[in-house]
Formats: sequence, C-alpha cells, structure tokens
Amino acid sequence: MKSNRTAARNNESIDDRAIDAMIGQTRPRIERAMKIIRRPQARVGVIPSQLGRLMIAESDRGIAGIHFLWTDGAERMLAMLRKKFDLVENEASARRVEAEIDRVFKGDFAALAHPLDLSLVESDFKRRAYVTLRKVPPGAVITYHQLAAAIGQPDAQRAVGTTMATNPIPIFVPCHRVIRSDGTIGNYGGGVDNKIKLLRAEGFEVGRDLRLPSGAVMGHRHTKIYCRPTCSAARRADPNNALLYADAGHAQHEGLRACKICKPE
Amino acid sequence: MATFKLELPPPFEEAVRTMEREIMRFLVRSTGDRDDAMDLFQETWLRAYRAYPTLQSADGLRPWVFRIASNLCRNRARDRMRRGRVISSESADADAIANRAPAHLNGASPEGALALKRSIARLPGKQGQALMMRKFAGFEYAEIGAALDCSAESARASVSQALKKLRLEE
Repeated sequence: MKSNRTAARNNESIDDRAIDAMIGQTRPRIERAMKIIRRPQARVGVIPSQLGRLMIAESDRGIAGIHFLWTDGAERMLAMLRKKFDLVENEASARRVEAEIDRVFKGDFAALAHPLDLSLVESDFKRRAYVTLRKVPPGAVITYHQLAAAIGQPDAQRAVGTTMATNPIPIFVPCHRVIRSDGTIGNYGGGVDNKIKLLRAEGFEVGRDLRLPSGAVMGHRHTKIYCRPTCSAARRADPNNALLYADAGHAQHEGLRACKICKPE
Repeated sequence: MATFKLELPPPFEEAVRTMEREIMRFLVRSTGDRDDAMDLFQETWLRAYRAYPTLQSADGLRPWVFRIASNLCRNRARDRMRRGRVISSESADADAIANRAPAHLNGASPEGALALKRSIARLPGKQGQALMMRKFAGFEYAEIGAALDCSAESARASVSQALKKLRLEE
C-alpha cells in the first residue's frame, strides 16, 4: 500500500504503460460486473417507407418499437428504448422490417411476420390487448368495444383506445385494424391517412365518408360462419366474438363459411 | 417539426475505450493511490453504464464521465476524513491522515510535491478539483464547468483563485 502510494507520486509511474497495466488489471472485474447489469442490445434505424419516414428499433427477440417520424415523440420513444436496451445505429435491420411493410402494399397480406419484443409494454392489460389484437387477421377489423370484450373487460373500450394510441409497435401490432363501433374507422397515431392506406392495402375499400365498405361481412369466430351485418342470425350472435371482414373472400380465407339464412356472396 | 435526425451517444464500450486512460490518470492523480484509483475506475464505469440511458447525446459525454469520477473521489475523500477523525481521536499520527488527503501532485522535489499536495488539499473542494482538472487533465473551462455544475466563467475563477492561494502560500 505504502509503496503504491510512493510510486503514484513519482512522475514516471503514471506513464501510459503503467496506466494501461492498471486498466488491464481492472478490466476483468468490470466485465464480470457488467455481465450482471448489462441491458440487451437493440438496433435502431431511420428509413423512408410507404407510410412516411419511420424509426424502427429491433432487439434480438424482435421488433421493439416503431415510430412515425412526422409525428412528435421520437425523443420520448428513444428515451423509453434506452431504459431497456443498449442502442446501436443500424439501418440494415430497419430496412429488413420495412421490406415486410412494403410487401403488404404489394398485396402480400401475410407479410407482417416479424417477431415482436414487447419489452416497452409495462402493463399487463396493454400486453393482453396487443397479443389479442395480433390474432385479428389482415382483411378483418375489430371495434374498440369488441377488443375490450375479447380481453375480458367489456367496459374498458376507452382504456383500449388509450392502449392503441400508445402502441409502441404500430403496423405490426395492428392497431390500424381497430375501428369504432359505429363503423367509421376512427383515429390513428400515425395519421388517419396512413390508417386508410394500410386498411386499403389489406383489402378494405374505405369510402370517402371513412366508413367501411358495403360488402363487409360479419364473421363469427366460434361458429365459423359469416353473415351480412344485417342478418337476423348475426344480430343474435354475440358481437364480442365477431370480426368484420372486408368481404366474403377474406372471411373464407380464414376458414369461415357463408350463412345459410342471409346468403352473403 | 424539423426533420428528425437520429443521434445516439456512442456505444458504451466505445466511450470506455476512448476515455479509459484519461479517467485512470485523473483518478490516480486525484486519489494519489493506485489501489484506490483502480477501485474508483471500476466504480466510475459501472455507474456510468447504469446512468448511460440518461445521457442524451455524445456532446456531454466527456465532462459527464469526469463528473462521475470526481464525485466518487470526493465521496471517498469524505469517507476517509470521517474515518480519519476516529483514528485521530485514538491518537494516531496526524501526518498519516494528511497523507490520505485527496491530492497528488508532481513537485520538483519529493518535499515540494508533498507540500504542494497538502496545499491543494487545503483548498476549498471546488477550487482544488477545478485546478486539478485544468492543470492535470487538460480540461477546457466549459468542461470543468459541466463537471462541477457551474458556468465556464466560474470554473475559470475557481482555477485562478486556487492558483492565487497557492502562490500566496509560497
């Protein structure tokens, strides 16, 4: 101890070599401690897309965050990401994610297959809402109320609304497939225009009045039957188990059959 | 809204690589003890890693890490002083306590160095630290200001006051 102190006082003792030796001695201790507190890594990139510029963050587990850069809150999203991940800039990773979005616009409905990392989702309610929403296939929509019912809290449609507004992974957690109970398409964090674009790309002909098309059919998840929305059988069925499909084709694609009473096309 | 540009602080490992020598040198000089310096070196980087998410951009990185290091030095010096009081009440050698003072400087002769070291240790905390950062770590005043939570002007004043006091003692 004493000799250490004397040596440190000596000018020559703190040349680069001595400093490097001390760093070398300390490094294994630091590395051991770092292993315990290390955050997982996420790659962040900014790229243009059909929906405007996007910031995309992807961890080893999957996409952790997507942000529409023309809206506010990019810094907030980054701050949230930093708390959970060590961020590195990586455009290639973002480009791979964007390629899937691009394929949706080329007609490949099943393109959004990237795994997700829901680390940014803190609450159990939100997590359940996102996981349930992912089961709504492309070409179908669900209302806020139905989604609330589907996660077992039928009165929580407003909370579901907030949950959709704070969705950290829009597009891939398909909050654009959530509409209002009156049949209008409602709002979207990335802009209503983008919601319309996405719904159209997935087969919905959204009209100028922002209502869903007249050809849309109600599909019942349990009975696997689809009806016209006006069908008496559809009105009797539990609306919480129904999804609205863009047309008969989308419903059939999901394995549903036509109702024998209202005989939708 | 202005066009968003992604500006992340450098990966933590890169920050460590570029600054580790500077930090170790600063710690050796501040503590005057290699073992202490190595302990504080580890502590500095672990604390820096934990708080890394709060760092917004690369600009503030250098003063920020130095601030962590200098806070740790100050804490350690304070702890030593408290322990020192207990020892001195048990009639330990007062000089041994003075030796633990958080300053190490290079004088022309060993006696001169020791005297200078003691003089710096007697300076008010901010002046002593500002002086060491300026003269031994080669900081800009703005960086010292950022590390000591004061303005660049105030940092410059601290260094100049410190020098003035040292000269008066000579």
